[in-house]
Amino acid sequence: MSATAAQSPIKPRVRTRRRRDPSSHMVLVALIVLAAVMLLPFVIVVFNALKTPQEYGANGALAPPEGFYLQGLKDFWERVDFGRKLLNSIIISGSVAVLAVILSVLNAYALGIGRIKGRLWILVLLLMANTLPQEALVYPLYYLSKQLGIYDTRLSVIIVFAVIQSAFGTYLLSSVLGAFPRPLLEAARMDGASKWQVLWRIIVPVTRPTLSVLLVFFFIWTWNEFLIPLVFLISNDNQTVSVALGVLHGQRLMDATMSSASALLGILPTLIFFLIFQRTLTRGLTAGSIK
Amino acid sequence: MFKRGKGAALLAALTAGSLALSACGGGDDTSGSAGKELRLWHYEGPTSAMGVAWKQAIQEFESTHPGVKVKFEEKGFEQIQKTAPMVLNSKDAPDVMEYNKGNATAGLLSKQGLLTDMTSEVTKRGWDKLLGPSVQTTAKYDAKGVMGGDKWFGVPNYAEYLMVYYNKDLFDENDVKVPTTFAEFTAAMDAFVKKGITPLGNGGAEYMAQQYLYQLALTKADRAWVDGFERYTSKVDFHDAAWTYGATTFADWVKKGYIAKNSVGVKAEDAGAAFISGKVPMLFSGSWWYGRFASDIKAFEWDTFLWPETKLTLGSSGNLWVVPQGSKNKRLAYDFIDITMKKGIQNTLANNGGVPVAADEAVVNSPKNKQLIQNFGTLVGTDALAFYPDWPVAGFYDTFVAQTQKLINGSAPPDRVLGDLQKAYDSGLPK
Repeated sequence: MSATAAQSPIKPRVRTRRRRDPSSHMVLVALIVLAAVMLLPFVIVVFNALKTPQEYGANGALAPPEGFYLQGLKDFWERVDFGRKLLNSIIISGSVAVLAVILSVLNAYALGIGRIKGRLWILVLLLMANTLPQEALVYPLYYLSKQLGIYDTRLSVIIVFAVIQSAFGTYLLSSVLGAFPRPLLEAARMDGASKWQVLWRIIVPVTRPTLSVLLVFFFIWTWNEFLIPLVFLISNDNQTVSVALGVLHGQRLMDATMSSASALLGILPTLIFFLIFQRTLTRGLTAGSIK
Repeated sequence: MFKRGKGAALLAALTAGSLALSACGGGDDTSGSAGKELRLWHYEGPTSAMGVAWKQAIQEFESTHPGVKVKFEEKGFEQIQKTAPMVLNSKDAPDVMEYNKGNATAGLLSKQGLLTDMTSEVTKRGWDKLLGPSVQTTAKYDAKGVMGGDKWFGVPNYAEYLMVYYNKDLFDENDVKVPTTFAEFTAAMDAFVKKGITPLGNGGAEYMAQQYLYQLALTKADRAWVDGFERYTSKVDFHDAAWTYGATTFADWVKKGYIAKNSVGVKAEDAGAAFISGKVPMLFSGSWWYGRFASDIKAFEWDTFLWPETKLTLGSSGNLWVVPQGSKNKRLAYDFIDITMKKGIQNTLANNGGVPVAADEAVVNSPKNKQLIQNFGTLVGTDALAFYPDWPVAGFYDTFVAQTQKLINGSAPPDRVLGDLQKAYDSGLPK
């Protein structure tokens, strides 16, 4: 979130160079304020992550730290075996992102290009599935995974999220593919391309920017998921980063400094991932247009 | 539709693969763990008294049971709360775990048949001799899952109770005497108000406000009243003398400035942090703060006293050791519980600011920790533990928070608040 906020002021600045419109200054100021507001919680988390518990007790949550206290970060890392959690999260989010994109493309090909019968209803159904709260899904999924013997495995979470994410992906991609330039498809068919070839040689390359955006989003969304991993990943060895963060909230006490340290460790990977794929994301937004 | 078919085929393939995978895993698990491994879960932080003491218990267990490994996993409180029924109903249940006491938690699981009835083990190993009557209440449940029953479904090895924490430096600076009677208590609060200091810390958004109210009601109550309220032994009237006194006095204290009006949205964590920062003269809260105050407060002297002139106060056993019905190593689980009940672990609890159920006072090193245990001894001796106000019915905690917030805001008179509590209580009673 902070990355988009930091990014957006660039646009108006370019414009001001061209024509010095007072209103664009206003926009710039407004965006800077907005960025500051959005970055503030992050700053507080960083502050508290670097404080000793005693400092936190004496000076409160908002005061800047007196020095760099990295013990909280280190303690948390060791306490929950964070490296392992990181690996679990990467495995789960990565597989989900790839699987869900593949599923979405296949579904959307049928719905958007193939224009099968009743596609509207299928889309409505998928949209409804998207609005279902996860709390409603948890029990049925729990029984299912227990029956299949995959309760408390990373695989169960991968399957569940690949399906959930692809519901959204199908919905989005179907409308993108619905507007796919027909002449391209017809030309391919004239050249004797089969359905598979049309999909892999024409559609996937042309929509690649959109697919990359979906990939990044699926990865980040899955990374941040809490409830289903909490319920399905019972063993500490299988847990993800977001579940591991919950360990610090006791019944009546919470360790504010260590929680901040853990939150910092928890968001850093997504932030890094986001920054790496930032260009993909901005490019993906213009993917609808014909080249 | 052929693409959807593909998707389904993919899923089916994945599931089949996973079945093979988990089948291996499962096979491994059962053959490897029988008698060789004790799977233990709890959710206490590693630096808390319980965390320290139980870690020692694990070492002791491993040295007295050569060849057996303890596979300990630290869990989050929320994870256990949300998933315990599901975990215990699967083959992945641990052999022994910490679980919350109370009707809605341990009681519910015992009713569902997910916990082992430990009654014979408790009497055989003499654990019942170590625990006072009001500590036992939360470990025993009846067929309906109501506490105070006849069967032991859990064993507590520590306890908790509420006390008034006070900032000695603030008392000295403002020439206020530490109260021993209720009259002196209110006089002390008046003195602070006169100096412009709010005497009592409070977190209106969480459990603290209702605990003040309940404590005030308890000063006019007896054991039968508590049993009626907590264990449904008699019909509860929220307009009786005790509840009315509790609610009106609480509202009165806000009016007098003993409790700050702006504490209405404060979280318990922040109220505790305010006490740690030295701004609050007194905080009425539980022994769960003790260890943290001891380690985090360096800038001033603090001490505690029990709520003056009351026969009953809030408190109960700590969380319970429970043995899931699906435990594969019940014998080892009992052995582990037994170690935590022994003097060695109990003394470690005591020395780390915990409230043990059976410690040796003589070996407790710091005078503060000693006082913590002596006070608990007093409470158990007079059968004074009256549990917590949110226990009896599901969802009562949130009702209580909302109603006490009304009292703090002054948006509803005590009479109406008690009426609303009555409604929530009556509709939530188990049939």
